[in-house]
Amino acid sequence: MKDSRDAMIASFISAVENGVELMVVVSDSTSTSKIQPFAERFPERIVNVGIAEQNLVGMAAGLALGGYVVATANASPFLVNRSAEQVRNDVAYTDTNVKMMGLNPGFAYGSLGPTHHSLEDISMMRSLGGVKIYTPIDPEGTAEAVTHVLKSEGPAYIRIDSGLFQNIRRPDGVLRVTAPVRLSEGNDVTILGMGTSSHAVKEAAEILSRAGVHADAWGIPSIRPLRNEELLESIGNTGKVMSVEAHSVHGGLGSLVSEWIADKGIRARLVRLGVPEGLFAPASPRPAIEAAFNLDTDGIVKKVHEFLGASY
Amino acid sequence: MNLQEKAVSIRKRIITMNSKAGAGHTGADLSETDILTALYFNVLNITPDRWNDPERDRFILSKGHGVGGYYCTLAEAGFIDESLLETYLQANSFCPGHPVRQKTKGVEVNTGGLGHGLPIACGLALAAKKSGRTYRTFCLCGDGELQEGSNWEAAMAASQFRLDNLILIIDRNKLQLADRTEKIMNLEPLDDKLTAFGFQTYEADGNDPEAMAALLNGLKPGGERPYAVIAKTTKGKGVSFIEDNPVWHHRVPKGDEIMKAIEELEQR
Repeated sequence: MKDSRDAMIASFISAVENGVELMVVVSDSTSTSKIQPFAERFPERIVNVGIAEQNLVGMAAGLALGGYVVATANASPFLVNRSAEQVRNDVAYTDTNVKMMGLNPGFAYGSLGPTHHSLEDISMMRSLGGVKIYTPIDPEGTAEAVTHVLKSEGPAYIRIDSGLFQNIRRPDGVLRVTAPVRLSEGNDVTILGMGTSSHAVKEAAEILSRAGVHADAWGIPSIRPLRNEELLESIGNTGKVMSVEAHSVHGGLGSLVSEWIADKGIRARLVRLGVPEGLFAPASPRPAIEAAFNLDTDGIVKKVHEFLGASY
Repeated sequence: MNLQEKAVSIRKRIITMNSKAGAGHTGADLSETDILTALYFNVLNITPDRWNDPERDRFILSKGHGVGGYYCTLAEAGFIDESLLETYLQANSFCPGHPVRQKTKGVEVNTGGLGHGLPIACGLALAAKKSGRTYRTFCLCGDGELQEGSNWEAAMAASQFRLDNLILIIDRNKLQLADRTEKIMNLEPLDDKLTAFGFQTYEADGNDPEAMAALLNGLKPGGERPYAVIAKTTKGKGVSFIEDNPVWHHRVPKGDEIMKAIEELEQR
């Protein structure tokens, strides 16, 4: 079990070793980003702006315009909400080479409550022009996504979960930044897990399989760009798709899937698991929140049975 | 042409351009003209043919609504063809209603929302320090704009990171969109505030391009403190019926006002 933030930091170090002119900007907390190993190695490449998220993003844009590849590394809720206009104008619209690490998203902060939850980050980033959006499913995928964006031009956002997760073995052994990862094969229902929700989806698919329900389950490591051809084929085949995300059901993966279905005219029903319309998540430990919204393994299994038993 | 004459030429362009466009921030454009004249004709090491030079000085118009004065200065300095000014605010123009770097040669940052320029300028100045470059970064803010809290986050950073290659210029015309700055949200004592945040603070006549140029050219790196220049200006400077009147924040000259404004400028 590993923390994806350690993978991010290892990728930062590796990038600098490979010649990337990286500058990492943090706001006060160096523990949020687990940046210490990087700071010890490259103290001149870290900028701490204090508790000032607007300035965090503005200075990141300026450092990028001055020639650096810049990564911001702070808690996702404060990046996305506090500095929303800086993200839009200074990074997305001005098109600066800033890579935003959205740390501890979803309900990672659990009992600290809605001020610290990040349920809108994907929704907000999707509505902006020009920002690439990655939702790595495990530490290995995080390392791959971070390495990828540091080598590419332009704004990017990576949703990096602080939970402890195993690496999910890719069937063909090949890591892919923008291609879905197959978690199980089946014809009864398609299940899509955004980012680290893929782990609960994978376990649920295994339990369902033992009960005779065969899910075509996928981990979604990227929102934009995303190679979705296999997903569209699967949804068309099963006619039933469930999205699972530690995010609002508005503007995240569930919304994206509903857009595919409508745009392509696919005959399929969609169940969106996430934080429902009009709700904040409670201030509770993460597992309790996941259980409350059926985002844990048991909840997904239950919801799939309901879905397949329902008549429309 | 000396700097005064350049400034008159730029102001005439502003009157003509805004009148043709039928919209614009005439008061702001005329307020900042002498500051831009000093920068582009005597201070900045930028020229159109070395526009991509990494050692070029950086200028950010944080008060993005002053874009009309900016375009007219860029045209006067040869960055953009003067015929582009006739397309100001039109569909797909290379001179849109706020600065867009992908559109207009000479523009560094897409501004328009207020309080964005100074943080970005701090990043540019810090990049120069980190990479050993010698360029200076200039940021022009409106005075009302200083009511945005992000400026004060950046001010702390400018001091913390010893950005003595950063020069903040404040277009201190004492007017904002709705009314006098001191009536809406008092900025004074501005000099003391900036100094308390760590700036080396100067005051100057912001409508005297020679004085502005002389001051700005003297603000060199070395003191380990950022610079702030409170440029005392008159909003709408140069045209009597536009000067110091909040109505002209958004207005543009129409009908007889156009010739009257041009004539006044030519007489000065």
